[in-house]
Amino acid sequence: MTQAAETGAPEETVFLTVPANPAYVSVLRTVTASLAARRDFTIEEIDDLRIAVDEASALLLPHAGSGESLSASFGGATNTLTIEVSVPLTAGDDTKPDEDGFAWMVLSALADTVTTDATGDRLVLTLTKARSARST
Amino acid sequence: MSERTRSDRERTHQLFVELAGLPRGTARHSEVRAELVETHMPLVRYLARRFTGRGEPTDDLLQIGTIGLLQAIDRFEVERGLEFSTFATPNIVGEIKRHFRDRGWMVRVPRRLQELQGELATAINDLSQRLGRSPTMRELAEHMGLTEEQVIEATDSARAYSAVPIDVPNATTGMTVADSLVESDSALDHVELRHALRPALAGLGERERKALMLRFVENKTQSEIAKALGVSQVHVSRLLAKTLLELRGKLPDMQVPS
Repeated sequence: MTQAAETGAPEETVFLTVPANPAYVSVLRTVTASLAARRDFTIEEIDDLRIAVDEASALLLPHAGSGESLSASFGGATNTLTIEVSVPLTAGDDTKPDEDGFAWMVLSALADTVTTDATGDRLVLTLTKARSARST
Repeated sequence: MSERTRSDRERTHQLFVELAGLPRGTARHSEVRAELVETHMPLVRYLARRFTGRGEPTDDLLQIGTIGLLQAIDRFEVERGLEFSTFATPNIVGEIKRHFRDRGWMVRVPRRLQELQGELATAINDLSQRLGRSPTMRELAEHMGLTEEQVIEATDSARAYSAVPIDVPNATTGMTVADSLVESDSALDHVELRHALRPALAGLGERERKALMLRFVENKTQSEIAKALGVSQVHVSRLLAKTLLELRGKLPDMQVPS
C-alpha cells in the first residue's frame, strides 16, 4: 500500500455515487481520507478535507429530491486532490449556495479553492486542496 | 397529543402569516419566531418524553427537539393550509431519532478502536514534535505499527468525536480553557456573515465558539488551535467536527428548506 502511494498515478480519477441521504456522507468522507492519504497529505490536511466534504454535502443535499443521488469524483495530480460533489438540480430550484454564508466560509478555510456551478442540470461544488510542501 | 385550544391554533396561524411577510434578520422576524418556538415547546416536550429513559439526558433531547422545531418553523408554508403541529411533529421526531442514530453509531465503536484513539493522540503529538509538522497517515501507521486503513479509520473525527468527552478540563494547567482564551470575536466584524450566525454561535459553548472562530475566521491550523487551547490536535479535530454538526442544524444556509 505504501508503494502505491509513492507511485500513485496522477490522472486516476475515482467516481463515487451514493444515495442523496446524509447517512451516506460518511462513505464520501472515508474515500476522501483514503485518497488523500495515498497522496501523502498530513493528517491535519486530511481532516480538513473530511470536514470540507461533510460541509459540501450538507450544502448540496437539501437540493436533491428523494431517490436521487449524490455524486463525487476525486481527481488531481500527485500533490493535489480535487473533489467534485454534485446533485441533480430539481426543476425550478435556482437557489445557489450562499457565498457569503457561514458554510461557504468554512469551505474556503478548509480548501484552497471552492467553486460552485449550477449552469447545467446539476448543482456542482468543486474543492481543491494541495498538499503542503515539505522536504521529506 | 395535547388538547390545543382553538385560539392557540388561530394565534399560530396568525403568526405564520405575519412571519411569511417579514424579511429574515429583522427584529420582528426573530420576535415572531421566538413566540412560535415558545408556544410549541409543549409539543417538543411531549415528543421528547417518548424518548426518555434511553440513556440521553432529557435536557439534551429537548434541545435537539427544539432544533427540529426551528427547522419546521422555517420550512412551514402557511398557505398550504396544513396544521403546523402536524407538520412539525415528524420534523421534531426525525431530529431526535437522528440524534439517537448518531449516538448509537458511536456506541458501537469497538472498544479496541476507542483505545486506539488514545494511542493515536499520543502518536500524533510525538510525531508532530519530531517532524515540526503534522504527520502523514503513512508516518503514523509506521510509528504505531498499524496499516494505513486502521489509522484512517481511527482518525475519522466525525465518527470519533463523542467517544471522548469534549469538555474535559485541562489536566496539566488546572485552568479552564475559557481562562486561557483570548477574545477573538472582533474578527467576526470583518466577515460578512448572515444574521443567523451570531445567535447560532451564541448558543455554543465557549470552547466550541473559540475553536470555530480560530479555525474558520482567523484561519489558524488545528495544531495552532490545540496549542492555544492547551488540548491535543485530535481533540480540536473532534471539537470542530462536533460543532459544525451542531451548527448545521441551526443555520439556514446549511439547512435549505426544500
